[in-house]
Amino acid sequence: MKTRYRRFSTARIIEHWLQLITFSVLVVTGLSQKFYTLGLAQWFIMHLGGIDMVRLVHRGTGILFSLAVALHIGAAAVGIVYKRWQPSLIITKDDIANAIHNVQYYLGSKNYPAMSGKYNYTQKFEYWGILTGGLLMVATGAVLWQPLIATRFVTGEIIPASKVLHTNEALVVFLIIAVWHIYNAIFSPGVFPLNTSIFTGYLSRERMAHEHLLELARIEHSTPEEIRMLHPEECPFEVMPRSEGPADPPKDP
Amino acid sequence: MLILLSILFVASGGVAGTTDRLSEEQERCLECHAKPGIIKVFQNNESLDAFLDPNTFHASVHHDLACTSCHTEFSGGLHPERQFKSIQQYRIKSSLICRRCHADDQISKHTVHTGVLNTGKPPVCTNCHGSHGIVRISGKGAFTNEEQYCMKCHNRPVTMHLKNGERQALVVNTLSLKMSVHGKLSCSDCHFGFSSEEHPERMFRTGRDFSLASSESCRRCHFDKYTKTLESIHYTMLSQGKLNAPVCTDCHGSHEVAPVGKERTASAKRCQRCHAQEYDKYAKSVHGKALFNDHNQDVPVCADCHTAHTIEDPFSLDYRERIPEMCSNCHGKTEIVGKYGLSTNVVKTYLSDFHGITLGLYKMQKGAGAKPRKPIAVCTDCHGTHGISSVRGSDAAVVKSNLLKRCQKCHPDANEHFPDAWLSHYEPSLKRSPFVFIAGFVYQLFIPLIVIGFVLQILLHIWRYAVNR
Repeated sequence: MKTRYRRFSTARIIEHWLQLITFSVLVVTGLSQKFYTLGLAQWFIMHLGGIDMVRLVHRGTGILFSLAVALHIGAAAVGIVYKRWQPSLIITKDDIANAIHNVQYYLGSKNYPAMSGKYNYTQKFEYWGILTGGLLMVATGAVLWQPLIATRFVTGEIIPASKVLHTNEALVVFLIIAVWHIYNAIFSPGVFPLNTSIFTGYLSRERMAHEHLLELARIEHSTPEEIRMLHPEECPFEVMPRSEGPADPPKDP
Repeated sequence: MLILLSILFVASGGVAGTTDRLSEEQERCLECHAKPGIIKVFQNNESLDAFLDPNTFHASVHHDLACTSCHTEFSGGLHPERQFKSIQQYRIKSSLICRRCHADDQISKHTVHTGVLNTGKPPVCTNCHGSHGIVRISGKGAFTNEEQYCMKCHNRPVTMHLKNGERQALVVNTLSLKMSVHGKLSCSDCHFGFSSEEHPERMFRTGRDFSLASSESCRRCHFDKYTKTLESIHYTMLSQGKLNAPVCTDCHGSHEVAPVGKERTASAKRCQRCHAQEYDKYAKSVHGKALFNDHNQDVPVCADCHTAHTIEDPFSLDYRERIPEMCSNCHGKTEIVGKYGLSTNVVKTYLSDFHGITLGLYKMQKGAGAKPRKPIAVCTDCHGTHGISSVRGSDAAVVKSNLLKRCQKCHPDANEHFPDAWLSHYEPSLKRSPFVFIAGFVYQLFIPLIVIGFVLQILLHIWRYAVNR
């Protein structure tokens, strides 16, 4: 029995690094423009060489980010079409049910947390939030960068509208990453101090059983129940039924 | 016939009236010298008109003297040709004539002459007293104050000779002086070095040199204003040798300085003397019409934007960057523009838009040493400067067309859609820019919801984790 499983390929690790770097630069150079009245934003703008430099860096990084997004979508489309990738990030109705189930679990009306496959519902929502937000940012960023070209095809109102969409969506994406992603990848009690899988490419079997039980069962050609019964010591308490309360058997994938 | 005779009588009366009072010798001289056009040319090519007004002469204290009493080298049959190097030499020699009767002992009794006599240079009497129009100076030394003392001469049309041959009037209108803000000052408060004890002789090349020197007096009291003028474009021009650049007295006057700030129309008109084109545009603008037609004191005059003393180069980047601040001095204050139904949002909407934000950061950058890449659009780029017109009631298509032309100054490829990128100082609403409004509104709801959702989810997760453990 393996003690760890390959979760991300080298390409995905590189892609994450690229997104991490470009996203960080875009956030710093973008939000400092949005919140230009704040002292910290002004300090940053002045120290980077002025607003023109900040915009230049932001736009240059935006191109890199756009290319990374395009590459990701292209690779995912090809991968899925040629059956080399599982469409494991597609949101299904089970994800909605799992979200409701988990809230019930947190509130104490369910004994088990929802079991997930390769990606749980929070990761899927986060992924699609970032992807759709990213696409919106790319499109509106292009309009803001080249307003003269944009107004050749559409009314001028697209420019202030793009500004509203771009800056607000930036804030949404930033909040998704800064609050939700950072919590789940760093500060969540189950992973603290860091979920290293996106950097190493591997996830321990224990963590797989903990966070992706259905995926583990699929890989090991087993069932969640078998995994629990055969190796209860590897299953963290979150996966185990609570001692009190009515039994609530886990849902099949 | 009677009418014709009457006309002839009246017409000849002036001459007869004057000549009747003149001696035979005087009449003979005036046969030529009462006619303009007798020009004396000096060796340095300076020239002097030898014209003499009979009336002026008759009113002078010397009207009883024969011409030859002073001009001893001349007589009825003797009119020698004399050569002088310059006007100054001629005047010095002519003054020697005065000294035949008015000896040093006599004239030194008057302290006003002390400064002239003590210079070591030959005094030129005619510089102050003139030549043929000399009038009596009364007062006999019994003056109650300095002003009376000075005005015994300076309320008369006294002049001084300038090196360029012109004369500088030195007359002071007593009434204007009394009505001015300086009415209670003594003459020597401004004319430092001059008093009932001293009256140094000064020579100026031109009347402009005299004005420039005179305006220096102002700084003794108004040093703060003076130092401001040193930073102005007017002083820069002056220091570059452009002597027409205005100094204190050009705008405020000399002896008739009026209180500033009370009458804004007068303030605007001061600038008109040199800036006629700008003034004309301003007079036709929405501001100018309100000032001149309605006497509206809320509208800006020249000094409100350009300042009164620290007048900066209006084409400088520094000045340009302060334009929104200048406009906001009125258009950002409800108490000023509110009564005309104008919104103060015009400033806020500009400052929160691309150009306004960029401008604000450019201004900060200058202090930080990062140089702005290019000038950014400010109020005047769209609204104009001196000829600002009201857009109220204007045809929207015309306004948009004009706006496009202004956009194209910086964005040559802008098409007819481009001006719609600017919301014309309006806040987005369902009526105006609905798409922008809806997008902003959705995010205003969505962002707090998403934050609340995240925080709740995290808190619940931590709580469950803690309970289970």
